[in-house]
Amino acid sequence: MPGGTLWKGYIHFGDTDVPVKLHAAIKEERIQFHLLHKHDQVKLRQQMICAYEKQPVPTEEQSKGFEVEDGKYIIVNPEELEQTDPESNRMIEVHEFVKTAQIDPILLDRVYYLEPDMAGIQGKGYDAFVKALKEMDVEGICTWTMRKRSYFGALQARGKVLRLSTLRYADEVVPVESLGLQEALLSEKELKIAGDLINQLAASFEPRKFENEHQKKLQDMIEKKARGEKIAVLAPKRLKPTESDELLQVLEASLRKVA
Amino acid sequence: MNRTFIEMAGRRLPLSNLEKDLYPSYGFTKAQILEYYRGIAPFMLPHLKDRALTFKRYPDGVDKDFFFEKRCPGHRPVWVNTAEIPQDDGEPMIVCLVNDLETLIWAENLASLELHVPLARAGSPQTPDSMVFDLDPGDEASILDCARVALILRDLLSQIGLVSYVKTSGQKGLHVLVPLNRKDTTFEDTKTFSKTVAGIMQKHYADLVTAKMTKQERKGRVFINWSQNDASKTMVCVYSLRARKKPFVSFPLEWGELENLAGLGDPERLQVMHSEAVSRAEKKGDLFEEMLVKEQKLPHL
Amino acid sequence: MALQGIWSGTISFSLVAIPVQLVKAIEAGQVSFHLLHSKDYSRLSRRMFCPEEKTMVPPDEIIRGYEIVPGKFILMTDEELESVSPERSRTIEIVEFIDMKEVDPIYYDHPYYLVPSKGGEKAYQLLVEVMRRTNKAGLAKFVLAEREYLVAVTSREGALALTTLHYNDEILPDADIAPKKGKIEAEEESRMKKSIEQMIENFNPGKYSDGRRKKLLDLLAAKVKEKAPVEAPAVEEEGGEGPADLVAALEESMRKVKENR
Repeated sequence: MPGGTLWKGYIHFGDTDVPVKLHAAIKEERIQFHLLHKHDQVKLRQQMICAYEKQPVPTEEQSKGFEVEDGKYIIVNPEELEQTDPESNRMIEVHEFVKTAQIDPILLDRVYYLEPDMAGIQGKGYDAFVKALKEMDVEGICTWTMRKRSYFGALQARGKVLRLSTLRYADEVVPVESLGLQEALLSEKELKIAGDLINQLAASFEPRKFENEHQKKLQDMIEKKARGEKIAVLAPKRLKPTESDELLQVLEASLRKVA
Repeated sequence: MNRTFIEMAGRRLPLSNLEKDLYPSYGFTKAQILEYYRGIAPFMLPHLKDRALTFKRYPDGVDKDFFFEKRCPGHRPVWVNTAEIPQDDGEPMIVCLVNDLETLIWAENLASLELHVPLARAGSPQTPDSMVFDLDPGDEASILDCARVALILRDLLSQIGLVSYVKTSGQKGLHVLVPLNRKDTTFEDTKTFSKTVAGIMQKHYADLVTAKMTKQERKGRVFINWSQNDASKTMVCVYSLRARKKPFVSFPLEWGELENLAGLGDPERLQVMHSEAVSRAEKKGDLFEEMLVKEQKLPHL
Repeated sequence: MALQGIWSGTISFSLVAIPVQLVKAIEAGQVSFHLLHSKDYSRLSRRMFCPEEKTMVPPDEIIRGYEIVPGKFILMTDEELESVSPERSRTIEIVEFIDMKEVDPIYYDHPYYLVPSKGGEKAYQLLVEVMRRTNKAGLAKFVLAEREYLVAVTSREGALALTTLHYNDEILPDADIAPKKGKIEAEEESRMKKSIEQMIENFNPGKYSDGRRKKLLDLLAAKVKEKAPVEAPAVEEEGGEGPADLVAALEESMRKVKENR
């Protein structure tokens, strides 16, 4: 059951307007812990504390400052910040269409489902849009504002549904060169055996196979403790790294093992 | 964006925008900046070693916005040395340590024209290696007034048994530094000592010196900023460039030289430019090398 | 070298083990502010506060608890939490290799890079190169900050990238989103396609930037010009001349200095 409508807008390009409703596509479930005071188990709260007075400072007495030099700040007040807010409107403006393969997956951030908004204008444009995107294998690059923030993203068709993915800005991606990795001398033999090994371990992607086992084990541990049972504390396992000069033998041993 | 790579000590370093002029009214490109730092490195690196670096980055040149960064940028090569500095709210902060030439070049490629470091080393952030008197001229005062103050300060410190050294800030003032290099010195010590000295200086030379931060007090006077003696504060590192119209350097002066220059009455003569910095250092060595080794104990505390 | 990344451990496939560190692949471009006390601009920091005792609580007095019923907690220490999946908390074990084309992008969560730790450079480059040649990605599970992730390890421009994936049951079904059977008129379809055709370009993500960030930086640049930045007052601005002995010694020294000048 998808979540409720998060936002309403309309996709716009050329003469086309497609009204849509935004829904969440992902639902993460986590076991939540509270931070407690050890000796009396009182729930702790996060507060902003003044460095000198060592007492909590209420929001009315807080100012936002941008550090320009060591310990020197430019104060920005809420009205000034508001002026930098983007103008809000309901338009998801498409600037261009690009081939899906051109979008580097590292740019993909959050994904939403778009449902046709049938209220008022007829939602027919939606189906035609989905069909066209699929058949042309393109995605619509767009910008929009939602809750005072500007977004940049891609409209994509999957099955019969339109998705909106937010994209990260190009300058937010850490370039690989900046990692300063060294090249290494690899022998064709090592590469061949490693290649064979990978092919032996090849499988098709079946996401249903994978469950969050850690979550289950954590739940078990909690229940055990609730029943007053003792739990064993195990140390994390650390594997011994493969030395460069034994790499070939280890690869060969691995291949024998899986073949 | 144009990118090239260099190999240094078996490490690959990407360099970018070498032709970009970062000092537009003077004419000084990034390539020239890298050249400067490469030349001054043998003298500068010992003063940067094991100190948490604060970057002041000017990617679009000295006339445009700068970025002030204490955290070591996430996108750094694997070989850049780092340290963890404990913070107030528990989460330690990761800082860069410029411990070799490659790291210095990497930092300069990020257009970190100015390099600022704390008075303590990263491994012992609460132990200052030296005490500083940051001489800052107020409105209508100049570096020549700072020179006068510095010379009196030197005499005063000398009388009380402390050897001191002086460098230009590369901007409008001077820094007088007292090497300490003792494990038991605290910032409490250096702050109390320098504050007291500043008070005495103000008392006896009230028209020339102030120990107070307020703007009115500073007009026409030299402010002795003793509060720089703090674990959270940083000073521009000796030999660093400054991001002003011209690429002046924070450069050590011999006391005799300072006396002469102060007498000439021309503030520009006290400033050292990049090319001069390298040739002078090569000729006379690191005038600040004693700052790293000389042990002195603050008396009467 | 102190801990650089978010996590360090080993990545393995069959018997080959490579020591690595996990580092960020995305550096968010947000302009960040500090919170200051309005009256004197001293820096504020986030701390845990006990509402009953009305004091700050240091880290060694803090413990995590799971609320089973309101007000009743099961306490968990860091060691116990780390021991839940001991074999997974330090190891990324690649169990199979897949073709990334089979993975619907909706599964992608967050990207990271893996960088080799000392001694692992050769084995690391081997994995990078062989995955590039075979065009495969490694599928593995590992535990980071008490959460278990399903991850895809890919070869990217000479490095290993790691992308956390959502679990299947975390992806909401879209059956109810899709419209009921509607008929698409041929004329509308061709008009739509023509419209799209006219707007096809080569993708250059660098063209797009965060407008708000620029406005914030402009605002800050303007403010810097009109007023000097504020500074928290130095502690102990007041407070007398200093330690008596020191003052006396300095006065004596100053007397001598003036004599000599």
